[in-house]
Amino acid sequence: MSYERPYGGRRRRRDDYDQDRRRDLQESPEQRLQATIIRLGDVDVEQEIPQLATDPRFHDAANVPVISEGLRLGITEQPYKIPHYAALLRVLSVPHPEPSPPEGESAQGSSSSPSVGRQILDDFWRGFQAYLDQLAWRQARLCIHFFAHLTEAGVVTPQSMLGLLQSFTAVLDEFGVSTGRGKRAARCAAEGLMRAGRSLKDYSPASVIELISTLQAYNETIAGAKWLVQPITKLYNQDASPVNAAEILDCAVTALKLLEASDFSDTATIYPQPYADLPSLSEAPFDLPSVLVPPEVIELDGLSTDSGEDALVKKEEWPEHLLRLFDNDVTPDPATPAGYAVRADLLDIIDIFEVNRKECARILAEYPRWTVPGTFKPKPGTPADVPDRELVPGRDWQLESSIIETILGAQFILPESPEKPIYYITLITELCKLSPQTVGPAVGKSIRKLYSYLADGLDVEVGRRFAEWFAVHMSNFGFQWVWKEWVPDLSLPVLHPKRVFMHRALEIEIRLSYLDRILKTLPEAFHDPAQGALPEQAPGPEYDYDDPSAPHHDSAQSVLNQLRGRAKPEDVMSLLESLKITLVETADGDINVDSVIRSIAVQSLLHIGSRSFSHFLNAIERYLLVLRNLASGGADAKADLLSVVSTFWRRNRQMISIVFDKLMQYQIVDPTDVVGWVFTHMTEGLDWDVLKGAVDKANGRVVIARKRVAALRKEQDDTRARAKASGGADDGAMEVDGEIKQEDTPADSPALVNALNAFTSLTREQKSTLARVLEGFVHAVHSTSTDSSLIPDQTSLRVISPSAWEDRGSWGNEEWKAWQTWVWYKHFCRTYSPYLRSYATTLSIVSFAAVDGADNAAAVLMKKIWALAIGQD
Amino acid sequence: MAHVVTPLDQPSNYKDSQARVDRQKQQELLDKSSTLYVGNLSFYTTEEQIYDVFAKCASPEDGGGVKRIIMGLDRHTRTPCGFCFVEFYTHTEALASMRYISGTKLDERIIRCDLDLGYREGRQFGRGKSGGQVRDEHRQDYDPGRGGWGAQAQKLEIDRRREVEERYADTQVGGHVAQGGGDWKEQNGGVVQPTLKRERSPEDEGDNDTRQRARVEDLDTGRM
Repeated sequence: MSYERPYGGRRRRRDDYDQDRRRDLQESPEQRLQATIIRLGDVDVEQEIPQLATDPRFHDAANVPVISEGLRLGITEQPYKIPHYAALLRVLSVPHPEPSPPEGESAQGSSSSPSVGRQILDDFWRGFQAYLDQLAWRQARLCIHFFAHLTEAGVVTPQSMLGLLQSFTAVLDEFGVSTGRGKRAARCAAEGLMRAGRSLKDYSPASVIELISTLQAYNETIAGAKWLVQPITKLYNQDASPVNAAEILDCAVTALKLLEASDFSDTATIYPQPYADLPSLSEAPFDLPSVLVPPEVIELDGLSTDSGEDALVKKEEWPEHLLRLFDNDVTPDPATPAGYAVRADLLDIIDIFEVNRKECARILAEYPRWTVPGTFKPKPGTPADVPDRELVPGRDWQLESSIIETILGAQFILPESPEKPIYYITLITELCKLSPQTVGPAVGKSIRKLYSYLADGLDVEVGRRFAEWFAVHMSNFGFQWVWKEWVPDLSLPVLHPKRVFMHRALEIEIRLSYLDRILKTLPEAFHDPAQGALPEQAPGPEYDYDDPSAPHHDSAQSVLNQLRGRAKPEDVMSLLESLKITLVETADGDINVDSVIRSIAVQSLLHIGSRSFSHFLNAIERYLLVLRNLASGGADAKADLLSVVSTFWRRNRQMISIVFDKLMQYQIVDPTDVVGWVFTHMTEGLDWDVLKGAVDKANGRVVIARKRVAALRKEQDDTRARAKASGGADDGAMEVDGEIKQEDTPADSPALVNALNAFTSLTREQKSTLARVLEGFVHAVHSTSTDSSLIPDQTSLRVISPSAWEDRGSWGNEEWKAWQTWVWYKHFCRTYSPYLRSYATTLSIVSFAAVDGADNAAAVLMKKIWALAIGQD
Repeated sequence: MAHVVTPLDQPSNYKDSQARVDRQKQQELLDKSSTLYVGNLSFYTTEEQIYDVFAKCASPEDGGGVKRIIMGLDRHTRTPCGFCFVEFYTHTEALASMRYISGTKLDERIIRCDLDLGYREGRQFGRGKSGGQVRDEHRQDYDPGRGGWGAQAQKLEIDRRREVEERYADTQVGGHVAQGGGDWKEQNGGVVQPTLKRERSPEDEGDNDTRQRARVEDLDTGRM
């Protein structure tokens, strides 16, 4: 039929799509003006600012709110442009001649009205105040950068700028200020001072010195917390300064002291000051109003656990260490004024553009154009790249190495990176795609450096993230790595951190790909299964009853056949029951009949579900009844069930994690059972992934329960308020509205009662999960003596001594395992510190009872780490 | 932070032609969705590989995680056809996948994620005429990870092969093998003429025609 176009349907859809796009393209004049501000300098900033200064739109008082909003967006989202925004405002602070001044009216009329720059600044300040009220720290900090530049430009008075910075250092003197709040307030003050120091010191040297000493004093109070989150760890020395890492506040203080010592004379070589050559203003400078940093908001939802502990969970924040991978002449040392400026900018860009990693990569690559010339080595082949160019001392850094080091630094922040590690991983991928020839080598060098740190105390968690990054990165670039150079390390003990890294990296590579593919990327030496670097065969299930000669083969076959035939759960249970009876009759010796049945049933169930994740889910959903029944014999039965799972999937650790997760999800086992499994299966070291899975499950359930209670409460309050309102408004409606009567009995709705009960039991479960982990760690570093009291395990005791650490080259598997367990313990305490704090009293009684009075080094370190984590040190 | 750059976690303009909800409702669903459509997978990629990648966007500490994975299958063959749905417990995790995973490689292919309205029965199957995905129907390139040529190109390939296979099917063991004719011999003329004519007759072109027609028929049957 001729009128029917082929693919007519698709054509129609496309028309629709075009229409949508056209609508988006229509911009209002306000949007265009804002876009002009946001895109400032995208072509050539030096030409654009004078152009904008004469743009009539910038002199229309009606546009002030629009311009100020544009500046707020530009400043908080493009911190690298702040000096130029300051220059723009400086230019606008000159009273502009009226377009057509009426004859006879003198200049007096126009000079009495403030310049448009002043009006914008007035409006901008209100925006800053709003950021502060929301405690939007980064936005507030970047606005302070702007004010600091304005101070240097003579637009803002030094005394008001000083007052602003002082209100931030005042936060540091608050009683019990949290590390997170202190860190952020200190950075606001420090970074403002770095930029405006010259003007401020001219105005009041004593105040500047006082600001710095307040910052320094605060910085010294958090020394213990710093040790807990150092990326390279020395267990024996809690006072050690970080190795190959720099803590951000330390750096800020050091950099400030250097700047101050030279009277901030270097400011102009560190921060662009495009306003520097402008003549001084005729208008009196602006006084920033005084502010008070609002207190932290504590959400009071009035929920407490059954034993009355505060069940609030707020993320505890820690000092931030940036791992160093390159020398100071290659990448900026953050403890120098110029280095800190670059680092902080890069970190802000990484943070802000998290929403679009591709754009983030581009902006990072273009960062040098916003810095003072000479900061970075020019790109080879560009006009700036002349052989005999004059080098700025202590600069001339390599852009790509600086970027990669900063990204990895953020990715390896302990206990948690600011964003999910996968963000940093894919950001690096984008950078590599953007410029493979320059970024590739920086990535390669970083990998080699990190690998070398593994033998020198790189924190186990950093090692874990390193392996993950390595594998995911390689999976995006054809798995091309020069494994050959690591072949000699195959002779190290299997639990040596380098071996652990290689094993894990390869394991993840295989998960993301498949064994044969990865084999092709490896030199011969890795292929030999005896080396233990690779599995003998592709990860898969191990059904122990497959072989006809295997014990219980026939019984298992009968179970398997029923499962395959999708028999009813009841039928399967009765079959298991009859098998059990037969087994009891025929068994010789003392075998645990329940255990054998459990193994047969669970292995068979996993077997029918072994084809894929979905098959597994279908299998356990169909036989939930059977599984519940098999798990019903108390904690032992559940532990046994988990052991069967880990036996069946012994050649596939990923599946162990997945199956455990879903068994918890379907409530066949509890998180405490999984924790128990972890501490009884430590031959190859502690399985942190599984442990974390269990703790997160327990915590996540509390999060959901809390949200549910909050939602139901709100719903109930709304209903009551509505009932009240309608009752009061119309008496006639009273009779029909049955809900009104409920007002007399403000009992909670059944749903809310249920939710509250769920919350109570879930917090109980959370507490016992945490207690179980702590107990597990206590027992992992101790052995039971003959009188059943705990004595420190000799290896655990030895590895925390300085002499043994120096001798780590001779360590075997046992030593490395003990050392790793210690560091995992440290990681557990710092990661879950907010939860541990909530239950601190109970937990320390329950879990540390066994080592309470002990004063041996192991017990002391255990309690020390605990105390630091819960902030009681 | 979306004023300078466009965030990557915006849903695409795709509209599910078989969804029974209006556009606004679709938007509302997407704003809360915890399900992702994942496309451009290799036919060989397993659920466990998918799980491993997407678990990196999971937030179990907030009650999240990978809830389930639904593998996209060819309607006819029940084999993976290069797409899947990944369902998380929370919307945040789906957004994180859009920002961090979409556009990166899985199993050495760049995969594409999109927020999805949520899985409904039937959506696990390809909607292309040949059972797979529509995009694999008319693809002109050879893609070893997605079954080689596009479905239509494959159909041509199959037809050609069938032709080749059928061409000599009438061959019999011990049957006559043509000799090709001997040397010139004196014959009585006039008999050869009509044979030559027949070879050049329009029937030959007609042969071509039937071949084309057969192809068209195939297309038609494929449409149901």
